[in-house]
Amino acid sequence: MDYYLNLINTIGIHTLLGLSAYLLILTGQVSMAQAGFFGVGAYTAAILTVIFQWSILSAIGAAMLVAGGLAFLVGFPALRVRGLMLVVATIAFSEFARMFFYNLRWQVVRDGTEIGPNGTMGFAEIRYFNNNGWLNWEVTIFLWTFVVVVMAIIWWSDRTRVGAVLRAVGEDELAADSTGINVTVVKVAAMTAGGVVAGLAGSLYAHQVTDLDHHTFTVLLATFAIAYPILGGLTNVFGTLVAVVFIQGLLVEGLRFLGDWRMLLFGALIIVAMNFKPMGLFDNQTIRILQNALGIKRRGGST
Amino acid sequence: MLEVKTLSKHFGGVRAVDGLDLRVERGEIFGLIGPNGSGKSTLVNIICGVLQPTSGDILFEGRSLDGRAPSARLRTGIARTFQNIRLFGGLTVWQNLWVAGNSTEDIKSQSIVSRWIGTSTRLKKEIEVMLEFSDLADKADVLASNLAFGEQRRLELARAIAAKPRLLLLDEPAAGMNQAEVGELEKRLRSLRKQGMTIVLVEHVMQLVMGVTDRIAVLNFGSKIAEGTPENIQQDKAVQTAYLGQSDES
Amino acid sequence: MDDFWYEFVEVTQTITDGLLFGSTYALIGIGFTLIFGAMGKLNMAYAGAALAGAYAGLAAFVLVKAPLVVVFGVSAVAAALLGYAIYFTCFRFIPTHNHLAALMASVGGLFFIDEVVVHVTRGSPLTFPSMFDDIYFEIGPFGIRGDLVFVFIIGLLSTGVLLYILFKTRLGLATRAVAQQDIAARLCGIGVHTTNSVTFAIAGVLGGIAGAMTAAAVGVLSPVMTVPLTVKGIIVAVLGGLGSIPGAIIAGLFIGGFENVFLYFRGIDERDMYVVALLFLFLVFRPNGLFGSTITRD
Repeated sequence: MDYYLNLINTIGIHTLLGLSAYLLILTGQVSMAQAGFFGVGAYTAAILTVIFQWSILSAIGAAMLVAGGLAFLVGFPALRVRGLMLVVATIAFSEFARMFFYNLRWQVVRDGTEIGPNGTMGFAEIRYFNNNGWLNWEVTIFLWTFVVVVMAIIWWSDRTRVGAVLRAVGEDELAADSTGINVTVVKVAAMTAGGVVAGLAGSLYAHQVTDLDHHTFTVLLATFAIAYPILGGLTNVFGTLVAVVFIQGLLVEGLRFLGDWRMLLFGALIIVAMNFKPMGLFDNQTIRILQNALGIKRRGGST
Repeated sequence: MLEVKTLSKHFGGVRAVDGLDLRVERGEIFGLIGPNGSGKSTLVNIICGVLQPTSGDILFEGRSLDGRAPSARLRTGIARTFQNIRLFGGLTVWQNLWVAGNSTEDIKSQSIVSRWIGTSTRLKKEIEVMLEFSDLADKADVLASNLAFGEQRRLELARAIAAKPRLLLLDEPAAGMNQAEVGELEKRLRSLRKQGMTIVLVEHVMQLVMGVTDRIAVLNFGSKIAEGTPENIQQDKAVQTAYLGQSDES
Repeated sequence: MDDFWYEFVEVTQTITDGLLFGSTYALIGIGFTLIFGAMGKLNMAYAGAALAGAYAGLAAFVLVKAPLVVVFGVSAVAAALLGYAIYFTCFRFIPTHNHLAALMASVGGLFFIDEVVVHVTRGSPLTFPSMFDDIYFEIGPFGIRGDLVFVFIIGLLSTGVLLYILFKTRLGLATRAVAQQDIAARLCGIGVHTTNSVTFAIAGVLGGIAGAMTAAAVGVLSPVMTVPLTVKGIIVAVLGGLGSIPGAIIAGLFIGGFENVFLYFRGIDERDMYVVALLFLFLVFRPNGLFGSTITRD
């Protein structure tokens, strides 16, 4: 039972991660920075509950603010970088964040034991849920409440002008600009929102696994983050959810029986999938947005 | 209304626009013609802020546009259509117009919240009016990428006027249209002029240019070789040479 | 005053060592930049193939006590073959305009190669024979490690041969034609797939040599070297300007020196942070790198 609860929790957290990337990809920004914001959210929330003894809600709220604030700052330089280079720049950011946490040492002695992030040793003993008597299923409900709320908010805004504006920017920045949409505001807002959601995901993650290690916040995680909305399609949020269930549920857990050979098969599967259905899983708008995002030349140009 | 002052745009060694001077008066339909490569589209791109001039200036209603981004120019009252139609394909006709109502007037008249959620009834009414004007009322929920070519052109125009511009720049709006469609476009442009809009029309389709413009400027190799009423231009020797080589008709 | 002199010598020493070692980064950077220049795509599996090539070279040494030249040769050939395999599985059949699918496919390729290596070696690092590590040149207070000089010379030679091929042979001409205008090249009868395969193979040769060089300089081969080498290779290619070989060379040497200086002052844990921060700054303020062609907006 605990095993399945864990899986459900992981799916929930990864859905949030995927949704944070979803917002960005809608505006045409393929960002690998989500892993970085995820890590920032995780460490911030954990430090607040462990060292400063904050309550979980305040810690999560603060983590969302910090991650969002950082995303806001990243959003501006990100505007100057396009397509594949944005991918590289955001990889650089996530790696920087990861290495920062790798080096972070902040030890505090409480009740005779040392707690807090311990540099290369990671950050253990994030026991808020245990210490406060939360049952496993209560954690799952708590976590998923956030997931449902975020999904609802994004789903609803897709029905309003906000969603249309985001997609317009993603499809054709020049046309959007010429139509009077302030592209800077839209893109930075999307990056900030993405940072907030990723920070939320990270803060939940930290308390669920009770133990942070910099190895989690790698380019692989960032790749998963953008893979979910790309594979699930950009039509609506449920696509991302389905993609998470598929990848986490089937591939990662389902292939567990393969043991060490898992990554081998995973790698081969990716190659096969990309060769046979490079865009086949995607609808036209996704294709258009991705083409725009990666600076791929369109047919025909103006004189 | 619009003043182009000694405008130049060089791309490396190529002089796309070369020391150009133009004046467009308020309320007129001003035609801009010339052979391919004469700098018409470059000029439109500069006026709209997509390209920055190498030298010279553009004054709109007396004030310099001075390096402002396209969205800022839109808010100042300048809108444009694209030669090769840049609609938001994944959005419906309605949504294309929905995201477009961005004039300063629009922004001021609604609260931020209602503007972003897009529920303002005023906006809805305006979109409906525009759909009527462009004959697209029954296509409101169709994805822009699924429209027929003529419908796409109409939507492109509708989106440009959604922001209630005072100056409208049209980049070859009649390209690919049949006779009937050109006639309808002519009617729409006249209607817009009646409503007080100033229009700059870049075109190759002479039927439209001669039929609807008040004045025309002819460009060749980035500079103006002639300017005047449609009748003048038709008689102008320099224009005939530029377009046809040696002219063989009177 | 003595302390300052000592610091000065140490830092200069560090920079020199770093510069020499940087020739390995330069080669990897050239490999990335070649492929980007030819196809406009990033081959994420490149460094993985390079190291796998080095493993093959190591196998030659361990199994048949092959001499130095053969070890490097085997590494180069193995990496070239792998390069071709990567091209065939991850790039050849994916539509040209689809950069993202090719990127993801090559990421899959990277996972695959890494796992194979891990399985074959059971995950443990292997010693790679160091060459000339007993040689040490002394110039006044400065010492220059023989093995680093060796690595540097190989880098020079490889680059020289590469440039010769690119600019003095028909094959090279075809590669450059495809890189600039692949449709026009096709119309002229140049087989684009053949040319691209050859580009990947040539990049593979460079990669295999670079992999063997890195292993020789460090003395160890381990699968954990793949990701850092990939990241550094991309950094070098970007810094030098994507598609520019001279840029990759200069950037590679620079990163080698830069990295070592930070290693000296801040230790190994923080060293990579500064390299990555440098990449970010460059991308934001000078996205074309040192010599890249201008990336125009829309």
